[in-house]
Amino acid sequence: MDLALQLLFTGIGIGSVYALVALGFVLIFRATNVVNFAQGEFSMVAAFLMIVFSVKLELPYWLAFLISLGGMALLGALFNLAVYYPLRHRTYLPVIISTIGASIFIANTVLAIHGPEPEVMSGWFETPGFLVGPVYLDSQYLLIIAVTAALVALQYWFFEHTLLGKKLQATSQDKEMAALLGIPVAAMIMITFVYSAVIGGIAGILVAPVLFVSISMGSTIALKAFAATIIGGFGDVTGAIIGGLALGVIETFGAAYISVPYKDGFAFLVLVLFLVFRPQGIFGERVAEKA
Amino acid sequence: MVVSRRVFTAGLAAGVAAPALIGRAGAQGATVKIGMVVPVTGAAAESGSFAQTGARIALEQVNKAGGVLGKPLELVTEDDQTTNPGAVLAFSKLASQPDIVAFLGSIRSTQMHAMAPEMMKIGKPVGFGGTDPGLTKLGNPWLFRFRPNDSYSGKVIAQYGAQTLGKKKWAIVHSTDAFGTAGAKALTEALPDNGSTLALDQGYANQSQDFTPVVLAVRQSGAEILGTYFTFETDLGIFARQLRQLGVTVPWVGSPSIVNLSALKLAGPALFNTFGVADYAEDSSDASKTFAKAYREVRKVAPDNQSSWTYDAVTVLAMAMNKAGTTEPGKVRDAMLTIRGHKGAEGEYNFDRNGDGLHGYNIVKNEKGDIKFDKRIDFTPQLG
Repeated sequence: MDLALQLLFTGIGIGSVYALVALGFVLIFRATNVVNFAQGEFSMVAAFLMIVFSVKLELPYWLAFLISLGGMALLGALFNLAVYYPLRHRTYLPVIISTIGASIFIANTVLAIHGPEPEVMSGWFETPGFLVGPVYLDSQYLLIIAVTAALVALQYWFFEHTLLGKKLQATSQDKEMAALLGIPVAAMIMITFVYSAVIGGIAGILVAPVLFVSISMGSTIALKAFAATIIGGFGDVTGAIIGGLALGVIETFGAAYISVPYKDGFAFLVLVLFLVFRPQGIFGERVAEKA
Repeated sequence: MVVSRRVFTAGLAAGVAAPALIGRAGAQGATVKIGMVVPVTGAAAESGSFAQTGARIALEQVNKAGGVLGKPLELVTEDDQTTNPGAVLAFSKLASQPDIVAFLGSIRSTQMHAMAPEMMKIGKPVGFGGTDPGLTKLGNPWLFRFRPNDSYSGKVIAQYGAQTLGKKKWAIVHSTDAFGTAGAKALTEALPDNGSTLALDQGYANQSQDFTPVVLAVRQSGAEILGTYFTFETDLGIFARQLRQLGVTVPWVGSPSIVNLSALKLAGPALFNTFGVADYAEDSSDASKTFAKAYREVRKVAPDNQSSWTYDAVTVLAMAMNKAGTTEPGKVRDAMLTIRGHKGAEGEYNFDRNGDGLHGYNIVKNEKGDIKFDKRIDFTPQLG
């Protein structure tokens, strides 16, 4: 029982990381109908920005956090202008390829500027964790779970209960009709890229104290987050969260009770099963062809 | 005279290419070239930069001492991208240059396995650092190892655990790649000779984000001592932290990655009081100290095994070519096999008939982040 509780906490913790990155996937998908494969790199860039401002320049943690998120907003805007906007009238395939190219470009740019050394980033709390009965609760994972829950609530409210959120949804569903109704489509898409870069950045900064800061940190998480998005249902915020948490728990329990080396295999087995039997995911619309 | 478009284009191309071709032809033979497959990008890019530094320090020393056969030695590098396909591609690019006379392969066994068939075809000496014992038993006469293989690390870890630490019930955690699997096998095989038993053999896939199931398995196994073979320092760092967080405090003796600079930086206090087998230990010999001094002058930090093996490999390959009096591969190979008692940064080189140059390991202890040399355990090789 103790073992199961410990695994459950860890599974939810790591699942929340996937869910946070998956939120970024969902946002951009809802606005543009394409999958942004550079979403993981947003997390990596933000973590390195924190290293620069918090560790190297020794700015206060909160200030470094805000500046890093500001940098991510700028990156999101540039990303939209350079990667999406020139291809906005094409089908989704060239845009997806463009995001893959951008992902490689961003990773190699950070590599060229910073170098390959992984970095250590301290957590938000002095205490790394504490025991509740037999279960060790990592403070950073607790923070990740809390922030994920808050962002889900915020995002749900934003899309369902604000005019801007509805405009973004309208843009996603039919750009021409949205334009006819006076919605500034290009501005809506710009806002989406900025917001998703910031969300991805928050995920990267939160996860950095647990997984360290390295060039490859984003791509590893993004792959799982992408699987989580498929499982939950593309375009659905709740689905991405459920998918992320489910993936984290399934792979943790699968590793503990069946086989550790096949841990990643469980995640992708679930993905394949969903693609075959329920390609629209738990909550989402049918987009199997985009996987 | 009418000049057709085709003739004009050909002339233009020849004009553009000629200076480069002439320059290249002039350069051929002016230096003796060694090709180096090294990670510049990907997960191991950092250790790749250390490896290049080690090789370049040796290069400079060889050239100061007169070079190879009276010519300067030159290093040509290719990025393996820290992947097996990348390594094969990098080696192929180097192998296509006929003026490269010898190569430095990878420190990663899995990459060496991937490149070995191509290395066999090329038929030129390759120095490498991968520690899977099987690599020098592939029937490939061109492979020369510049680190002790894992059959030695397994023996040293088992012996140190049983005889020095007095612990005999083992949990082994290892990567499931070629290096980790071979290392775990060697340690498992060495346990009975030391009166020890195996409580847990736990593999994991590289680049994991979470080791909770592994740590819980170690805790539940009732093991008195932990032996590990980790490939990537980020994995080792995450594992070490979670091991301590979940309350596992048994003695831990790890493969060389446990004392790598990156691992020490990432894991911090989680690795305090652990032991490691280290092919390179600064205080183990005068040659090791001399290398450390030269390395510090360049990088301003202490070296580790990522750079010591490439330093030794370049030095010994140059020595063999000078000894052979030629760069003809067969004669360089013969000269390599006759090297006896060369004191390198990693230890004393005596190449056996399989191409293994080193036959023992140092044991070091992490004392609050400082790596302290404890002892060296050497085994008598069967020299051919």
